[in-house]
Amino acid sequence: MSEQTLAPAGALRVNPTWIVGVLVALAALYELPDLLQDYWLRTFNSVVALAICSLSASLLFAQLGMVSLAQYGLLGVGGWFALRISHGLGVPFEIALLAGGVAAAIVGLIVGLPALRMRGLYLAIITLMMAGAIQVLISAFGFPDGGAGILGKSDTTRQMMARPFVADSDSAYFRYSLVVLALCYALVQAHIRSRPGRAWAMIRRGEVCAIACGVDIVAYKVWAFTLAGFLAGIAGGLLAGGVGQLDGSAFPASQSIMVFALTIVGGAYSWFGPIAAGLLLRAFPALLNDFHVDGNIATMVFGAGLLHALITAPQGVAGQIAGAGASLRKLVGGGKAAA
Amino acid sequence: MIEINDVTVMFGGVRGLNALTARLPEPVTGLVGPNGAGKTTLINVLSGFVLPTAGAVKIDGQDLKGVKPHRRAAFGIRRTFQNEQVVENLTAAENIAAVIDNVPTDGPRGKLIDKALDFVGLCARARVLGRDLNAFDRRMVEIARATVGKPRLVMMDEPGAGLAEDESDHLRLVIKAIHDHCGAQVLLVDHDVDLISATCTATLVLDFGSRIAYGPTAEVLADPKVRAAYLGVVEEAA
Repeated sequence: MSEQTLAPAGALRVNPTWIVGVLVALAALYELPDLLQDYWLRTFNSVVALAICSLSASLLFAQLGMVSLAQYGLLGVGGWFALRISHGLGVPFEIALLAGGVAAAIVGLIVGLPALRMRGLYLAIITLMMAGAIQVLISAFGFPDGGAGILGKSDTTRQMMARPFVADSDSAYFRYSLVVLALCYALVQAHIRSRPGRAWAMIRRGEVCAIACGVDIVAYKVWAFTLAGFLAGIAGGLLAGGVGQLDGSAFPASQSIMVFALTIVGGAYSWFGPIAAGLLLRAFPALLNDFHVDGNIATMVFGAGLLHALITAPQGVAGQIAGAGASLRKLVGGGKAAA
Repeated sequence: MIEINDVTVMFGGVRGLNALTARLPEPVTGLVGPNGAGKTTLINVLSGFVLPTAGAVKIDGQDLKGVKPHRRAAFGIRRTFQNEQVVENLTAAENIAAVIDNVPTDGPRGKLIDKALDFVGLCARARVLGRDLNAFDRRMVEIARATVGKPRLVMMDEPGAGLAEDESDHLRLVIKAIHDHCGAQVLLVDHDVDLISATCTATLVLDFGSRIAYGPTAEVLADPKVRAAYLGVVEEAA
């Protein structure tokens, strides 16, 4: 029996080096926006929003083993409602953000209904068709930008979404986004470590097993899709606040496939996976642009990355980083022991 | 007390159970028969996974017809599976907690988990993930899951398959102790006649979905009809 398996799987172990590490990381994250140029700051604002979107896809995949190809579409739904509420009612940013989350949660619930009867490829196709439907609606009606009427489309100047008053500048907004990201992770962790997480794990093991253990699989599946929809909606509101407005042509269904694929590449089973996915989705193409390379080449790299993940690295980038860290520790530890 | 009244199950044109009627009052009842006799089908009817085409089943006098499959665990019907179904990414203790989440209990969660793990002898491995447990420990986690809370009926589908001799001995002790531990009746399906003889006070024998014998285990297993159908012993014409 190795030490690792004896460690409490759910409980928090307080380790001094860990605390120091967390504090250093927090300080670095706090200082980061001051070191970045505007271009990179805006990029990182999008990275955080996309990380939350990827978190919602990884929640469904890692916890329930279900594939949803609609999460980027749901991000669009959340963004639409957040913009609509913000421009229409002039409410604080937090209210608009939550409204976007709730709206996307409701749509997410509808997306999840087929999951009650389907799994695997069929579920993936159905959710992709939902993403397609959202794409059609968004490209037909566009995003609200301060105009009148239900759709809120303006003919003249496009208004920017009001940011939270504590975070009006790009750097403050980045820090604000990080807090939202942390809250989203906390929400997911609170679920995984309690009753819903256990029920989801049972369902993933086998629906027959779950039913025999008394799990109401309908309720817990619906809840997972609703929660995932909520997270995607929050991501949408956050993205809208960061950019100021959303582009109706930027929500093709293929983006939802990209989010799912990069969630797998990033590592759906690890906490770092969604962040890696967010970086790949937004920071990597930006980096290529910075080097005057066409950012679209990123798609080819992602394809290769997905193949690599599927064939050799089922834990994704996050798993590989963890593996590299472990080997490094062994090397350093081994060196110390020898010295 | 399990009451099976005239239960028929049709799978297309195949009769899984054929007008089966039985009253099983003993604390530990064996269920034996050749492959395809309807043993697992009967367990699935009691679990609610298979709806009987005709007839009714009652537990402690209550008809199960209106009890949804996922409510049966809370009602008190539990089972283990032929292919064990321990959740790999939960610890042994969490596997049990996942059941406690859904069934009526009588006491604090932590104590119930400890008691269930202690019953099957897994206290030391409470925090080991399901994927790191060996085959025998997984069986024990399944039994702990089935006996936690207030079960009325614990059904086991071939719990003895693939176990080493000392493991099999431990399994026997555990099965014999279930009734005293939690008050549940046990229904045991297994091909291992020694396990059935050692643990079951009464045994029901099925063949082609029908009952061919029921009574005290020793008597039933000595019945020539049972030996011919199940044990494959053909009485030599002397």
